[in-house]
Amino acid sequence: MKPRIPLDPDAVNQWGLADTAGMAPSIAAARQQLRRVAFRMRTVDPATTELVRIRNARYQNCFF
Amino acid sequence: MTWLPGLPDGKTDWDRLTALCPEATSALSDVVAAAWRDTDPALLELARLRIAKLLGHTAELARPGMHVGDVAPSAAKLADLEVWPTSPLFSARERACLTLVEQFVVDANGVTDTQVADVTEHLGATGCCAFVEAVSVLETFQRACLTLGVEEVPR
Repeated sequence: MKPRIPLDPDAVNQWGLADTAGMAPSIAAARQQLRRVAFRMRTVDPATTELVRIRNARYQNCFF
Repeated sequence: MTWLPGLPDGKTDWDRLTALCPEATSALSDVVAAAWRDTDPALLELARLRIAKLLGHTAELARPGMHVGDVAPSAAKLADLEVWPTSPLFSARERACLTLVEQFVVDANGVTDTQVADVTEHLGATGCCAFVEAVSVLETFQRACLTLGVEEVPR
């Protein structure tokens, strides 16, 4: 998929995908913290988490 | 009133959820607060109310703007929000953003290049990205509250 907004070619994450965290820094930092907290809770097992992620991606036609 | 069983006591459903998992609710509140910091709160307020209307979230519709302060949209504009496509009170910038918000909520996969370009024209690339992120945060939060039956959330 071609990005719909111009992105900084140097802003990529560890997988080489565009990293837009710098465009909404407060949200990116808060989301990262939420992910940490959710991971530490360990109330949903990894297999279920992955099934939900893949199901949602398919539902949204998000294939990258 | 939330249908979740076995929650600790508290004044509101949110307080009871917080008593159950304080770290998670705190982190979630922080994400919502961050959304208001990263984009124009006046635009986001219009988006928040439009999302609530589309999702049928009556409690959210009744809640006054939480983070808008002096930049709150006028009462006349809020009254016309349901008919924004034909109302003369909305600027081209607001129309571009509301168009994107509605498509995002109804079917994010149906968002078009033109809709994104229209918002980018008014907000710039960084502003467009931040606005979409903020809308995503509010939409997810509202859906989560609807799913859990949580009506009162922190201001």
